[in-house]
Amino acid sequence: MKTLKLTLATALLALSALASAEEAVLKVSAIPDEAPTELQRKFAPLGQYLEKELGMKVQFVPVTDYAAVVTALNSDKIDMAWLGGFTFVQASLHGKVVPLVQREEDSKFTAKFIVNAATGAKSLQDLKGKSFAFGSASSTSGHLMPRYFLQKEGIKPETFFKNVAYSGAHDATVAWVASGKVDAGALNASVWEKLVQSGKVDGSKVKLLATTPPFYDYNWTVRGNLDKKLQARITSAFLKLDPKNPQDKAILDLQRASRFIPTKADNYKGIEAAAEAAGLLK
Amino acid sequence: MLSSHPRDPARWPRLLTLLLCLALLAPSFSLTQFNPATLANPDSWRTMAGFVAGFFPMALQADFLRDVARETITTLASATAGIALAMLLGAPLAFATSHALQRHVLGGERPARLACWLASGLRGLMVILRGIPEIVWALLLVRAVGLGSLPAVLAIGLAYGGMLAKVYAEILESQTPGLASALYLQGASRWQCLLYGLWPQALPELLSYSVYRWECAIRASAVMGFVGAGGVGQLLDTSLKMLNGGEVSTLLLVFLLLVSLSEGVSQLSRLALGRVATTRMLPLMGLLAVAASVLWLWPGWRDSGFDSSAIVRFARDFFPPASDMLADIAHGVVETLAMSGLGSVLAFMAGAVLAMPAAGRFGWAAKWLSRLLLNVLRGVPDLLWAAMAVLAVGLGPAAGVLALALHTTGVLGRLFAETLENADPEPELALQQVGAGRLLAFAYGQLPTVCSQWLAYTLYRWENNIRSATVLGIVGAGGLGQQLYLALSLFQQHRAASLIIAMLLLSWAVEQLSRYCRQRMG
Repeated sequence: MKTLKLTLATALLALSALASAEEAVLKVSAIPDEAPTELQRKFAPLGQYLEKELGMKVQFVPVTDYAAVVTALNSDKIDMAWLGGFTFVQASLHGKVVPLVQREEDSKFTAKFIVNAATGAKSLQDLKGKSFAFGSASSTSGHLMPRYFLQKEGIKPETFFKNVAYSGAHDATVAWVASGKVDAGALNASVWEKLVQSGKVDGSKVKLLATTPPFYDYNWTVRGNLDKKLQARITSAFLKLDPKNPQDKAILDLQRASRFIPTKADNYKGIEAAAEAAGLLK
Repeated sequence: MLSSHPRDPARWPRLLTLLLCLALLAPSFSLTQFNPATLANPDSWRTMAGFVAGFFPMALQADFLRDVARETITTLASATAGIALAMLLGAPLAFATSHALQRHVLGGERPARLACWLASGLRGLMVILRGIPEIVWALLLVRAVGLGSLPAVLAIGLAYGGMLAKVYAEILESQTPGLASALYLQGASRWQCLLYGLWPQALPELLSYSVYRWECAIRASAVMGFVGAGGVGQLLDTSLKMLNGGEVSTLLLVFLLLVSLSEGVSQLSRLALGRVATTRMLPLMGLLAVAASVLWLWPGWRDSGFDSSAIVRFARDFFPPASDMLADIAHGVVETLAMSGLGSVLAFMAGAVLAMPAAGRFGWAAKWLSRLLLNVLRGVPDLLWAAMAVLAVGLGPAAGVLALALHTTGVLGRLFAETLENADPEPELALQQVGAGRLLAFAYGQLPTVCSQWLAYTLYRWENNIRSATVLGIVGAGGLGQQLYLALSLFQQHRAASLIIAMLLLSWAVEQLSRYCRQRMG
């Protein structure tokens, strides 16, 4: 028994020695609103750019769960994250976080309602008794705002639809509606447009039904106790990205951004109110 | 003589009983929205066919295969490290709570009140540890300590720790007590009683059960990716969500290979337990495997960083549990019970049908094919079936019914076939020789001899299925699990706490009821 304990202790010591040999790393993550492989592909050039600008290693931590990103940011496991409006509100209610920048597009973001063409539905009211998919439960444009919008139209999803499901991600919602797995769904306008432009949506199978009014969505947020100077350098690195410069343009295009602009917590008061009204902040 | 009774003479009472059972099940159909017509619906077949057609060609790109290989090793390593943790947790708990080592049993002394309280407290802890399904532990731990393999290891460690503690304690109790008792009366300590009186005789059984649990842990670890805890499950989750059939088929194949490999290793090592030399080898090999696993997983753990204060903060958020959700919970519990009941009945019927060829009644080709089918059905865990069933019947409890039915058919079919093979063939042969048809001879000659055994197996699986049904919702198949997943996603920890308590109570109630029934029957 004693020798066993000794070996275990030695092994642990050796391992922790390995662990302490670390350098300064900026750990970045993103809510998994698309497939993890897609997220990594999108981040790679931006990560290299930030490494160059900040002079430190930038590591992308892939995460498959929205709430886990919020928890990781609140418990200082990651330094910076790409959050949606709703996840930002959740993170700021559970700890101190600072929003740095957002895409210009994020100040007037929308969500789309889509439907399987075979259902023949022409309006949201036609969806009564059909099955419906939101994206992730923690998604702003895939759940919160569509729900809030439906509520304003007098629709309570749990009783109005036959079944309410959560697909987990925006591109998954499209795949589900196209396959007939659910009759209709809601997703982020930007992912919808990307899929339409790249021809990944079969227009004869999936139809656009409605669009929500605009709202504030995604931003890049850092943990509250991150070095203030580093925060400022990250912000300026994002703001410096110039759409006229071809190299920068490539990075911006992958982020589907025309450019980045500064943002502040107050921009997301509307989201918080919507979440409150939709009963998602209990 | 028999020709004057061409029909089953007991057909009316039998038909009536069957109809009565189906009538009792009818509410389950509406509760779970399980409509067999959906399965016959050409639309859902087309969806399924499209999805299955997507299975070919299998995804074999080098970088995908590299990911698969890495995650497969992670799955194995997490299961192994998890079992090691479970043993470290379970062994002391078993030592502290086993009746075989209580002073009053060993030496006939009056039980000390404090020791009794302590033991009951620890037993309560064990009930909580194993009452919360491992996938729920994983879901919680993913939120508490971050993503990756660490929550998977801890989840297996905690849930299986509680299970091992209970079974270890029972194994110690089932040994002949004379030796330990004699040692104790000679003045030996309880440690010495354990080491010299019980350990040598109980060791093969303890090891054998641990190896069996390791096999279960691999299956559990393989699906933990569905809640973000790494391993092949995580890849499978992504591929399923994106409806990428080629990747799904590759992963399913890997999955089945992994499961049959672990079954093979587990059977071999249990065979090896018979011999003294190999019995000594086994723990050594186990230790090596654990060390290798920890080394493999370490880089990931180092990066995620373990923060115990975060766990405390996380746990504090759950109190007090929400009290305003009795209706939601009642609905979830009823849905869970209906799912498990209907799934088990369907599995009973399908299992019985498949057991005939599997027992070799229709030639070797049919036997081989049906066994293969049963093994596939059984090899894929119900959670994984549920993730795929949502494609066939849409989201909701109906997918849960189908998933439980498929997995349980595999389990029951195999058990039923074994019962048939072991049953006495003479009554059936005798009936056939006096001119009864094959069906009648089976119904009157064979069925009565196996029926009670079949029912017992089905009831036992139903008990298991109630527990499984509580978690299928994590992949969207209704029941309590779906509510829990939603509550945790929205940071509604108080609601989550109430749901976990409901799961615990359900699991505890089922365990008590089943024990009571078994005692009555025994």
